[in-house]
Amino acid sequence: MTTSYTFDADLVRKYDKSGPRYTSYPSAAQFGPAFDAGMLREYIKRSNADPIPRRLSLYLHVPYCFSPCFYCGCNRIITRDITKGRRYVERLVREIELVGGLFDRDREVIQLHMGGGTPNFLRPPELRELIESVQHHFHLSSARDRDYSIELDPRFVESGDPAAYASLGFNRASLGVQDFDPDVQRAVNRIQSVEQTLAVIDECRNHGFRSINIDLIYGLPKQTREGFGRTLDTVLAARPDRLAVYGYAHLPEIFKPQRQIDANALPSPEAKLALLQLAIEKLSAAGYEYIGMDHFALPSDPLARAQADGTLQRNFMGYTTHANCDLVGLGVSAISHIGDSFSQNARDLPTWEFALDNSRLPVWRGRHLDCDDIVRADVIQQLMCLGRVDIGGIERRYNLEFAAYFHEEMQRLAELGGDGLVTVTDHSICATSRGRLLLRIIAMCFDRYLQESLSSAAPRYSRAI
Amino acid sequence: MKEALRRRLDKPIADDGDEFRFCTTCAFSSACLSSGYDKNHLRDLHVLVEHVGPFHEGEHIFREGDPFNVIAAVRAGTVKTYVTDSEGREQVQGFFLPGEVIGLSAISQAKYPCNAIALESVQLCRFSFPNMAALASRMPGLQQRLFALLSEDINKASLLAGNFTADERMAAFLVSLSRRYAARGFSPNRFMVAMTRTDIANYLRLASETVSRVFRRFQDEGLLSVERRDIELLQRDKLEVLARNVLRE
Repeated sequence: MTTSYTFDADLVRKYDKSGPRYTSYPSAAQFGPAFDAGMLREYIKRSNADPIPRRLSLYLHVPYCFSPCFYCGCNRIITRDITKGRRYVERLVREIELVGGLFDRDREVIQLHMGGGTPNFLRPPELRELIESVQHHFHLSSARDRDYSIELDPRFVESGDPAAYASLGFNRASLGVQDFDPDVQRAVNRIQSVEQTLAVIDECRNHGFRSINIDLIYGLPKQTREGFGRTLDTVLAARPDRLAVYGYAHLPEIFKPQRQIDANALPSPEAKLALLQLAIEKLSAAGYEYIGMDHFALPSDPLARAQADGTLQRNFMGYTTHANCDLVGLGVSAISHIGDSFSQNARDLPTWEFALDNSRLPVWRGRHLDCDDIVRADVIQQLMCLGRVDIGGIERRYNLEFAAYFHEEMQRLAELGGDGLVTVTDHSICATSRGRLLLRIIAMCFDRYLQESLSSAAPRYSRAI
Repeated sequence: MKEALRRRLDKPIADDGDEFRFCTTCAFSSACLSSGYDKNHLRDLHVLVEHVGPFHEGEHIFREGDPFNVIAAVRAGTVKTYVTDSEGREQVQGFFLPGEVIGLSAISQAKYPCNAIALESVQLCRFSFPNMAALASRMPGLQQRLFALLSEDINKASLLAGNFTADERMAAFLVSLSRRYAARGFSPNRFMVAMTRTDIANYLRLASETVSRVFRRFQDEGLLSVERRDIELLQRDKLEVLARNVLRE
């Protein structure tokens, strides 16, 4: 496999089209309301009955943010009223009790992630209450490689907080930065100093966090090569273990906060490409490896090592080293992946609260995966994580003839092959160093639902770059 | 094309029979045919042979105490038999795979002595019993076959009564499944277990956690690989050695 990555502006320009991010296949757009709480219970029961029940990965969602960042496409609630956090925790504890009781006690939680919104909207005592509840109702792993991570908005981390997070068992933090350029920060309504950001990183490291991730965004209003270049230099000097560099997708019709952004201040597609190129050059020069999609990591990081030995996985929390877990999403809008099913909690707070106040699982919609979904999810997972597909392995595992089963898909791939994105043999599909930055374009060839809906015009997904 | 992939592994089903011909895996076909009886003859003798099902997962095929009038060969799916003790605790007695016969333990009585439940979608071939017994008295081959099935059934139940380790019990369970699938022409190395780990644990007189721990250790040692309910035996010879004491070889 090639682990190098080459930025080819012409190719990137040609394939800058919208598509899913494949944190799941099928994507959430394919979930439906026929999937209810009873079905989730049944899937959990079945998952307990496997010869070796899978370990668990928990996701806890905190929807609140103190102030609106205009670029945000997440489902979040803006408030300064921290008593809302208190009431949210009460409900979330209720959900932890309800769901935790459905899993057999010997099912270890090897990964726990808190995301949002802003998890540190909750103060350490509230976080403690949540984690203690999780400890009580689930079997938390004491393995050395367990990952307990939390997304942090450095602007609201107080001195002493990282020590409290560490005492709760958190050992990874992910910090939002986006860009340090003051003009950009004003344009997106997120004023965050270098000093406070670095202070949080230092404090986390001093308290034994073994990994720091930093999120950056390119394509924001007022962004320039000079300003973004300085941001990259500052961030790289702090040597985070992982970096995510996301492309900003301006979809104001879908994401209301983005209506605050002046479209005229956005960089042109050419300028946006140049920003990506700059980021890739600087990260590459600093020794970071490309993991896939928007993610980079130091060679010593477990993600890079998992990619090298072929065990890297991708789920709703992004890339992970913990293979084959059942995913349990808790909190408003959270997504679960249990056995051959996906399910999502109510996306609006009142519906989620009402279900829990009546001791019901707050399931809103979901989906059962059929055999075809499962094969395609495997192929797409291999592409997104490893940049290659082991054809013989798929044939053996699913008892099919790859070339015949994916006849149309192979024709679509041949087109990408002609452009030098991918090489296809009888044994493997392999992204080239050029294709590695366009993995989702390659994966899209295998997305049955995307091919079926190509006629519908509305852009539902962000662009590839 | 997409419909071609209906299942992840070849799911065993004995479905090559019809109104006039036996399924090749049928426990009775060779005994009847070697005595010169095909399905038409059986019908003429009022031995009702009929395909029934599907029974859905969790559906009972018969319950303890039901009047006994049929035995049935499993055509597809897995059947579990169990009894409940006075405190309501379930005791798993056995699992029946395609080609195997359920209801035999009722032969000496007028009622079924246990419950039979479908663990997944199950298809059966049902034989009305009194008529079949009458036929067997005229057909030595069939009678022998019935006796053989009966003694297999009794042996199966007593195998696990000894003082065996968890590893030995698990290995014997897997080797037994493997041989039974192989005997009917299915893969001895790749099969799906329809039973829950609680059922397996109950049958082997182990704790559920122990079943999983042993599976995981066998997997770590490279003896097999487990992907959800799909099992692949990678070193069957080593499992056979482990199973030897239980299987009395």
